[in-house]
Amino acid sequence: MGLLNFTHEPVPEAVSADMHNLNQLSAQQFSALTEVLFRFLTEPKEVERFLTQLSDFATMNKISLGPLKNIVKSILLVPNGALKRNLSSEQVRADFIALGLSEEKASYFAEQWKVNSPTLTRLAVGQTLMINQLIDMEWKFGVTAGSSELEKVGSIFLQLKLVIKKGSQLENVYVELTLPQFYSFLHEMERVKTSLESFS
Amino acid sequence: MAALRDGEFAALQILLKAPSKDAVRQLCQECFCSPPAALGPLAQRAGPGLAVSAEEAEQLVSALHNLTRHVVYRGLTRAEDILCLFPENFHQNLKNLLTKIILENISAWRNEAQASQISLPRLVDMDWRVDIKTSSDSIMRMAVPTCLLQLKIQEDAALCGNNPVVSALTVELSKETLDTMLEGLGRIRDQLCAVANK
Repeated sequence: MGLLNFTHEPVPEAVSADMHNLNQLSAQQFSALTEVLFRFLTEPKEVERFLTQLSDFATMNKISLGPLKNIVKSILLVPNGALKRNLSSEQVRADFIALGLSEEKASYFAEQWKVNSPTLTRLAVGQTLMINQLIDMEWKFGVTAGSSELEKVGSIFLQLKLVIKKGSQLENVYVELTLPQFYSFLHEMERVKTSLESFS
Repeated sequence: MAALRDGEFAALQILLKAPSKDAVRQLCQECFCSPPAALGPLAQRAGPGLAVSAEEAEQLVSALHNLTRHVVYRGLTRAEDILCLFPENFHQNLKNLLTKIILENISAWRNEAQASQISLPRLVDMDWRVDIKTSSDSIMRMAVPTCLLQLKIQEDAALCGNNPVVSALTVELSKETLDTMLEGLGRIRDQLCAVANK
């Protein structure tokens, strides 16, 4: 096996046998299986649904579920590595062929990879570590009419509730701003936006 | 509503024993700033300078505290309004001096009261930084800009309080989050304009 694009580590032995088994599927069957796989890759949280669909596929095509799961594990090695390394569809195709998949099936999979990779890349970026990610912001503003120190006030206040993700929990942070602070905050955030846009 | 009870005005006249006008000025400041609970210690410190008993010092300090706080509460800004708080037989010069001192300080005191009224934790400072994420465990090479925003938040401001607790919170915003936030802030600004124009 020549140098692979999707990984620099040695590939498990079982992969060759799994590719050989894949080659036995008809074009239609391979296409249906690929669809199930990409649906899972684009919605990785839907594990239950993925397992159900695999099980249905196994039943419909008279394949045992156990071996099918192993085959799927082998196939998934390629897109997972390809995502990490921003591989092109030609590279994905070349890797599958190097692993022993037929040219026809490898080309088909690479095509599907091309179609799905923008979504998959966005997902992977979204999974990148964020510190105290700001999830949501709620606000209200009003007028202070009076206080225990001042009978009549008439000043505007702005209250923000920031919802922040700390680790796996959400935390609410409440902050009050005066009007000048609000305008200053807005001005700074607009500067941030300009900065982010110049780097995009 | 009377500013002070008659006995309290009598206590104020102890100020006639003060060594100087500046001493009176200083005491007015301290009495306004002091929370009711700290008036006792303040009286103990002020007493000796005025050559009065501890009890008289306490009455004076309490009266001065109530007078200054009352003026600020009512938002009195004119000399006439403050002068007419005093009873007829109050020492003229002392009355004029106290009115003058109060007028000198009134707007600073009002601002102080407004700055320290109860509120949610206040934003005191904010800093930001834009980073470019180049790599992560899920993608080996990328160039994704992200914003880190640090908010300095002050918990509790006491009137004339000295050591407020300030905590720093750093949050990360993606470009999408920032756009959404700016949308929200824009809506706030529009509503503020609408309210201002009414």
